[in-house]
Amino acid sequence: MAAAGALAPALRCSLGRHRALSRAAGRRGRWPFLAEGASLRPCSTRAALDGINKAVVDRIIRVDHAGEYGANRIYAGQMAVLGRSAAGPLIQQMWNQEKDHLRKFNELMIAYRVRPTVLLPFWNVAGFILGAGSSLLGKKGAMACTVAVEESISDHYNNQIRTLMEEDPEKYKELMQIIKQCRDDELEHHDIGLEHDAERFVFSCFCSLCAQK
Amino acid sequence: MAAAAAGSLRRAGWRLWRGRAGLRCQLYAPQQGFRASAALRRASEEQRKEPPSPSSQQQFDPQQADPRPEQEAWSPGPSYTGQDGQESQDYESEEQLQHRILTAALEFVPEHGWTAEAIAEGAKTLGLSAAAAGMFHSDGSELILHFVSQCNSKLSDLLEEEQKLVQLGEAEKKPTNQFLRDAVEARLRMVIPYIEKWPQAVSILLLPHNIPSSLNLLTSMIDDIWHYAGDQSTDFNWYTRRAVLTGIYNTTELVMMQDTSPDFEDTWRFLENRVADAMNMSSAAQQVQSTGKALAQGLMGAAVTITNLTGLNQRR
Repeated sequence: MAAAGALAPALRCSLGRHRALSRAAGRRGRWPFLAEGASLRPCSTRAALDGINKAVVDRIIRVDHAGEYGANRIYAGQMAVLGRSAAGPLIQQMWNQEKDHLRKFNELMIAYRVRPTVLLPFWNVAGFILGAGSSLLGKKGAMACTVAVEESISDHYNNQIRTLMEEDPEKYKELMQIIKQCRDDELEHHDIGLEHDAERFVFSCFCSLCAQK
Repeated sequence: MAAAAAGSLRRAGWRLWRGRAGLRCQLYAPQQGFRASAALRRASEEQRKEPPSPSSQQQFDPQQADPRPEQEAWSPGPSYTGQDGQESQDYESEEQLQHRILTAALEFVPEHGWTAEAIAEGAKTLGLSAAAAGMFHSDGSELILHFVSQCNSKLSDLLEEEQKLVQLGEAEKKPTNQFLRDAVEARLRMVIPYIEKWPQAVSILLLPHNIPSSLNLLTSMIDDIWHYAGDQSTDFNWYTRRAVLTGIYNTTELVMMQDTSPDFEDTWRFLENRVADAMNMSSAAQQVQSTGKALAQGLMGAAVTITNLTGLNQRR
C-alpha cells in the first residue's frame, strides 16, 4: 500500500516513540490501519507528503476537522440541556463517537501539516448554541437537529470520497478509509435520530405551521 | 545521410516542442504542466533513445511554494549524443535558466543593488548577453524573491538536519525559546552579506504586486520553523503562534538593518528579549485562563449555595 509505504520511513525515523506506540495500540480499536499514524511525529512528514495533491487534501482535512469540531460542540450543547434527561445516555454515546472522529482528524491534520480553519472560535460558539437551542425544544428537537446535521455531513463526506476516487484511489486509500468510516458513523447517527421520532417532530412542526396559515 | 538528417530534424523538433512545453509550464498553472507532461510522456515513447540526465534533475525550483514533481520530472534536459557527436549540449527549461541567472546575479548585488544591472552582470558571467536581464521584471523583484526562497530552503534543510541529529540521539532537543531564537538567527544571518542593500529589498517586497509572493514565502518559512519546533496545535493556537513569530521575525529584521554593533550582538539580544516576552505572554494567558475557570466554578458554587439558602430551589 503506497500510503503505508510512505508512512514507514516516517515511522522508522521516529525513534524513541515506542511508548507512544504502545499507548496508541490501546487506542487502535476501530482505526487499525492508522495505528502507526497515531504516533507520527513531525520528523520526515515529507515522506508522507510527496506525490499527493496537497491543495485537495488540505481542503478536505481542514473542512472535515471543522465539521467534526462543530458536531462535537453541537452534542455538547445538547448534553448541556438534555444531559440529565432520558435521552442523555444516547446523546452521550453519539458524542463519544464524534470525539473519536475529531481525534482522528487531529492526527491527520498533524500528519499532513494542514492548517486549521480560521473560523474555529465561531464554530465553537455557533455549534453549542445550535445544540442547546434545538434541545430546548425537547428531545425531538434535539433528534431533528441531529438528523439534519448528519444528513448534510454524510452528503459532504460522499462528495469528498468521490473527489479522492477521481484523483487516485490507490494513493489516497488510507484517507478514504477514514472518511468512509466517519461517513458510516454519521449515517448511523442519522438513523438513530430518525428512530427517536425526529421525523414526527418535523412533521408535526410542519402541520402546526400549516394550521396557523 | 538522409537518416542522419531525419534524426537531427526529429531531435530539433523534440527540443522545440520541449521548449514550448517548458514555457507553457512556467506561465500557466500546474494542471497545464500535468497535461503537457502527459503529452510529453507520449512523445517520449517515440524517442526511446534519450538517456535521462540526472544532473539537471537536481535543480529544484524552490520558488514555487509547493513542489510539482510531475513538472520537475520531465523538465530536465537529457544530453544528446547525436550521430555527428556535436549536439551534446544540455537543454534546460526556461525556469532552470532563470534560476541560474538569478543565482549568478546575487554576487553582484552588494555592488549594483537589487536591480536589473545585477541581473545583467550575472547573465554575463554565464556567457549570456546582458539582454537576458530583459526576461525579468525591471525592478529586480524576481531577484529578491529568488534570494528569499533560496534562504528559506536553506533554513528548511538546516532544521531538517538538526532534527535528524536529535532523533539519532546525537544532539539534545532544544527548549522552544532556544529553538526559535536559533532558527530566526540562522535565517537572518543569511541576509548579512547583502545587509547594505537589504532595506531596498524590503521596500521592493512591499510593493503591491509583490505582496502575495512575499507574504507566501514569509508564512511558509514561519510555518516551517514552528513545524520543526514541534508545534502540533490544531486549534486557534496555530494562528496565534505563527502571528507572534512573524512579529518577532519582522521586528528583528528591522532592528538588524539599523544595527551597527560587532556581529550584530544588539540584534540577537533584542531577539532573545522578544522571544522571552512571547513565552511570558503565553504562560500569562494560560494563567488567566485557569484563573477564569476557577473563578467561574466559585461563582457557580456561590449561586447554588444561595439558591439553597433562600429556598429558591424548592418546588412549591
